[in-house]
Amino acid sequence: MEIFGHLLQGFGVAITPINLFWCFVGCFLGTVIGILPGIGPAATIAVLLPLTFKIEPTGAVIMLAGIYYGAKYGGSTTSILLNVPGESSSVVTCLDGYQMAKRGRGGPALGIAAIASFIAGTLGVIGLTLLAPPLAKFALAFSAPEYFALMSFGLAMVVLLAGESFVKALLGMLVGLWLAGMGIDLFTATSRFTFGSPDLLDGIDFVVVAIGVFALGEVLVNMESREGGQMLPVPKGLRNLLPTWQDLKDCRFAFLNGSVTGFIIGVLPGAGATIASFITYGIEKAVSRHPEKFGTGVPEGVAAPEAANNSDAGGALVPTLALGIPGSGTMAILLAAFILWGLKPGPFLFYDNPQFVWGLIASMYIGNVMLLVLNLPLVPVFAQILRLPSYMLFPGIFGISIVGVFSVSTSLFDVWMLAGFGLLGYMMRRLDYPAAPLILGFVLGDSVERSLRQSLMMSQGDLSILVSRPLSASMLILTALVLIVPLFRKANAWRLKAAG
Amino acid sequence: MRARSVIFNAALVFAAIPLLVHAQGFTPTKPVEFVTHTGVGAGGDVLARYLANVMEKEKLLPVRMHVANKTGGGGQTAMAYLVEKAGDTHTISLYTGIWISNPLMLPEAKTTMKDLTSLVRLLLEPGLIVVKSDSPFRTFNDFIDEAKRNPGTLKQSGSLVGGRDWMLRVLLMKQTGANWAFIPFPVMGERLGALLGGHTNILLVDPQETGEHIRAGTLRVIVQIADNRLPPYPNVPTMKEAGFDVPNIPVVRGVVAPPGIPREAVAYWEGVFAKLVRTPAWRKYLEDNVLEDGFQRSAEQSKFFDEYAETMRGVMREGGIKIVR
Repeated sequence: MEIFGHLLQGFGVAITPINLFWCFVGCFLGTVIGILPGIGPAATIAVLLPLTFKIEPTGAVIMLAGIYYGAKYGGSTTSILLNVPGESSSVVTCLDGYQMAKRGRGGPALGIAAIASFIAGTLGVIGLTLLAPPLAKFALAFSAPEYFALMSFGLAMVVLLAGESFVKALLGMLVGLWLAGMGIDLFTATSRFTFGSPDLLDGIDFVVVAIGVFALGEVLVNMESREGGQMLPVPKGLRNLLPTWQDLKDCRFAFLNGSVTGFIIGVLPGAGATIASFITYGIEKAVSRHPEKFGTGVPEGVAAPEAANNSDAGGALVPTLALGIPGSGTMAILLAAFILWGLKPGPFLFYDNPQFVWGLIASMYIGNVMLLVLNLPLVPVFAQILRLPSYMLFPGIFGISIVGVFSVSTSLFDVWMLAGFGLLGYMMRRLDYPAAPLILGFVLGDSVERSLRQSLMMSQGDLSILVSRPLSASMLILTALVLIVPLFRKANAWRLKAAG
Repeated sequence: MRARSVIFNAALVFAAIPLLVHAQGFTPTKPVEFVTHTGVGAGGDVLARYLANVMEKEKLLPVRMHVANKTGGGGQTAMAYLVEKAGDTHTISLYTGIWISNPLMLPEAKTTMKDLTSLVRLLLEPGLIVVKSDSPFRTFNDFIDEAKRNPGTLKQSGSLVGGRDWMLRVLLMKQTGANWAFIPFPVMGERLGALLGGHTNILLVDPQETGEHIRAGTLRVIVQIADNRLPPYPNVPTMKEAGFDVPNIPVVRGVVAPPGIPREAVAYWEGVFAKLVRTPAWRKYLEDNVLEDGFQRSAEQSKFFDEYAETMRGVMREGGIKIVR
């Protein structure tokens, strides 16, 4: 009950007009940043940091946190409408979101994304409110072997992301893993697959691969068709631009699944929203009654990853506030901000600065409501983008893709790579290779390799470390199940075919 | 004769000081670009923005200074950018130790410090070796003794092979005959998490990053890597006091310029930064972040680059890393 007292006190802080104002500023900026591909919340927070010295720290953190979770609302917009992932964590949203838009359901997809974000964002904050200290301990129990098991589970999702051909999906994933291995190797201080170019020493940026393969590849394929004029159907009337009651009912489980999985993975400092969104999507498809429809534009396929990447925000704050260990890259910047404001992040923060911590937590409840109110009315507005004729829309997508990539690194080399990945995406589409497994391999490649090598260093080369720890063993069993069950299904289908 | 020349030289020097500061005619005439190889929000970027801020507040520059992030290539993108800007007196850049170490290990890292103009060294980051509060190791000697008794079983949370913590381990293992594992984690949060979760035994940290954990008693400092005991830790011995005669490999930050800029411009920038490091704002920054003042002028810093590279070569040879340059 003590918690509710604190929370009430927090609302007292968050509800003051000035803090409400900062909350709104943060949510608004976050939405905008989320919509723009490339520039993400981390960079925005860093740029705004010097300006926050003039504000009282609680107001400042309320605003910066608003940017963080607000960006996750906005991230889905371009994913759904243009197949351009606005943030790295909204790549998965492209899979079904863009397909929905193609079938004239762009508006409902945006609506579902906003509602999923709201539900999961709020559940994430509830988790943060009630479970921060015990979950922070759980995060510490996670080490290299557990991360390896979790990442393997993530990679096993390739089975579920594969379309018709499992072999093609596997090939795509292997290419992704290979791309992830480029750059300086942490363990030996040697460079891998850089082809003698210093530009590749830091590896390839995620934004380059994701935007190239998804957005540019899609545009190139579409440009082949001769029909000009309107690209996608947009039905008239407000009712058709918002999700139906049936859509929301279909998504019930997806909301919950995304919220819980996203929150738990968000708590772990070594795994983030992108991984969470892939895993929830996989779970969603695995338990669905119509898995074959995933990837063709089902609302659950939008709701699950969007929920995951929003509840991740609450999760990432758990170790940040309770232990002073950043739960994600953006959190690391936020922690640096705490220090600059004269606060001391660490195990004492909850006791030393209750006003600050609980004010922040309370503001997140308010912020999520604000974001819903801010985003839902925008849905019909954004859906109109699809009415643009292709001779305007295509160059527009090229433009924002290039600007997005350039804004991250200010490097022309990256823009050329973007072009390269665009061509790769085009070829993959023409040859019927799904793009998601490549991205999955690319996102997880680094962590899966690193955690395996870390584990083996910890055990002096003994592989049993991976199965002798209960958490990692159980996740590896799950991984094996994910891999084996479809085989049985297939075998069954063959038997039936042979018999019938 | 000699006396006269001394006085004469002294007079020359005194006469030259204001000239040096005002740089015999060189003053920037357009906004200055301050390059950093780190992305927005990373350590180097924050320092660069802070310096630009101090420059403006203390009116040390007649023009504006804006930060440019040239990320990628482990510093090589920024270094290559400076080489491209040869002769440009309005571009300067922050560097860190990887600008010196990467070209030694990576064939792709073709630009070296010798291709750039040394301006000033600004600061050195001391280090602390910490253990979890319930660790059996009360002193660093306890740890080393255990690492001798059971070689390879103890673990250090580390940054990356070739980093400062790795180099120190190589030197210490050579000196003491002890042996323990070095497990790299790319970000501080994971390093600290592994230590606090009991998955590793020791960790080398910047004092500022973990000050709160030490205050809260979740972490304990067993030895410090600094020439003199740091003010917040008067009771913890330095490496030398603990009986380990290894060089304090510093994490260093300073400023360099593109190649081929005129001597007046070098003198001008030396003068500006010499003034900056005397400002109360900078002193407070060093104190708040538990950093050591490492100020050196251009010529001294050039010598430091060579020595640092030589030390690194030695350590890398010892640690089994192939040296390519």
